[in-house]
Amino acid sequence: MNPGIDLQRSFIEALMDLGIPSGAAKTLWMPLPMGLMIVAATVGVLGSVWLERKISAAAQQRIGPEFIGPLGTLAPVADGLKLLLKEDIIPLKADPLLFTLGPVIVAIPVFLSYMIIPFGQNMIISDLGTAIFLWIALSSIQPIGLLMSGYASNNKYSLLGGLRAAAQSISYEIPLALAVLAVVMMSNSLSTIDIVEQQSSYGILGWNIWRQPVGFAIFWIAALAECERLPFDLPEAEEELVAGYQTEYTGMKFALYYLASYVNLVLASLLVSVLYLGGWNFPIPVEWIAGWIGVSETTPWLQVLTAMLGITITILKAYLLLFTALLLRWTVPRVRIDQLLNLGWKFLLPIALVNLLLTAALKLAFPVAFGG
Amino acid sequence: MFKFLNQVADYAKETVQAAKYIGQGLSVTFDHMRRRPVTVQYPYEKLIPSERFRGRIHFEFDKCIACEVCVRVCPINLPVVDWEMNKAAKKKKLLHYSIDFGVCIFCGNCVEYCPTNCLSMTEEYELAAYDRHELNYDNVALGRLPYKVTDDPMVTPLRELAYLPKGVTEPHDLPSTARRSGLRPEEILEQMEKQGSKDNSD
Repeated sequence: MNPGIDLQRSFIEALMDLGIPSGAAKTLWMPLPMGLMIVAATVGVLGSVWLERKISAAAQQRIGPEFIGPLGTLAPVADGLKLLLKEDIIPLKADPLLFTLGPVIVAIPVFLSYMIIPFGQNMIISDLGTAIFLWIALSSIQPIGLLMSGYASNNKYSLLGGLRAAAQSISYEIPLALAVLAVVMMSNSLSTIDIVEQQSSYGILGWNIWRQPVGFAIFWIAALAECERLPFDLPEAEEELVAGYQTEYTGMKFALYYLASYVNLVLASLLVSVLYLGGWNFPIPVEWIAGWIGVSETTPWLQVLTAMLGITITILKAYLLLFTALLLRWTVPRVRIDQLLNLGWKFLLPIALVNLLLTAALKLAFPVAFGG
Repeated sequence: MFKFLNQVADYAKETVQAAKYIGQGLSVTFDHMRRRPVTVQYPYEKLIPSERFRGRIHFEFDKCIACEVCVRVCPINLPVVDWEMNKAAKKKKLLHYSIDFGVCIFCGNCVEYCPTNCLSMTEEYELAAYDRHELNYDNVALGRLPYKVTDDPMVTPLRELAYLPKGVTEPHDLPSTARRSGLRPEEILEQMEKQGSKDNSD
């Protein structure tokens, strides 16, 4: 298969032609995709906040933000600016160090996880051999930050909220990891690139969702719980509690939590699209279309087009999942804490285990279809 | 062994059922997305208050005989009636009259009991002020004619649900000639009068 566009190599080669040593050229290249990814993640948050407000409004037969920019698109920007300019208050008897560290510890791993999200064959910050494992490890740092902020706020409700958030994150981590494990077993790799590659041969029919429907459902439910989205938003529970572990936060520290929660939601959607919906693959493989119209795969314009299509398709799939999350938000009532833990431990965990074992058995029985 | 299998089967059935219900719920939510918003885009659009809307009270100074009935029927004796006795004419002369709309509950008792009909309810409800003392209306402020939604060129007046034609729930783009469902008050009156004359002739 053609590896497609490789911006990194072209960039480094171009610089080396100018007489810059390869090490320096690599150093010059490195901040570019990272910066781009952080900007893209933040813009993705603005987009998802806007979508959240608009779609929520539509689901309730309202209009939503309308006058702040065209169709209210600047509403999330206004929100962000407001939070940025607000006074930063640390409660008198709070622990200032832990209080400040909490949101940072929550936000950094989420942004770091974008390192492993592929948008094309070579369009990834770092193609790690342990990408999925890294993501699971990073996402388990989050509860520490939540606990830390809940504890440091010196407020019993914050502490309770932090404990709840941590309990929820930890209990849903396990079915999540088991669901991923089944996918990993089928593609014989932890690398996100390999996982997408392995789904790319038969167009839409090759996607993992057909081989792992149960895994897909488990992963999406667990991911929603990890992101503290409704129906699993117990730690925050807008309508019932004050704000859980975020109670004492204002200004930029609160904005970090807000940002992290939305970045995490977009990240979860992106990962679902990578793991189960064929990542950057178009429903009909682009190679086939190129073959039908008789264009060579190595044609530069086709490569640029494929790359752009790949990015668009990945983002489109992610936002489609985001849309289902929003729809779920206004459909499903919030679960109680005991129902939450029951669902996690007594339902998702056994099902995920059975799914894993079944995948292993199928892999042994039909190595052709299940990645022998 | 079979009992266990039965349990598994029941559990699976319940799960499928739960999934089905969630799917149904999702389709309901999804269906709402294509419906037109029901919100009134205040202040660009406003609902037309009904005839019996109890808004700010209008007061006609010249009709008032300073009988203070409005004060007596008011749950909190709110209207302030300032009068003095005109010894020569042996009549009360009204000097000032005021109602504090920051305290008024708009129950309409004063309007109901006023013997000379100098008090009336208007359809004005936008009473926001920066200072609560601004809500204490004197007889000049009370005598101002009410603002009408239908006369404001900046506002799209929308009919309330009960004033829409039968089967219509959407007040936008409704022709102004569209008749409300049911009979209009004058038609009811006409009918009653006809009925009355028939009864008399019998």
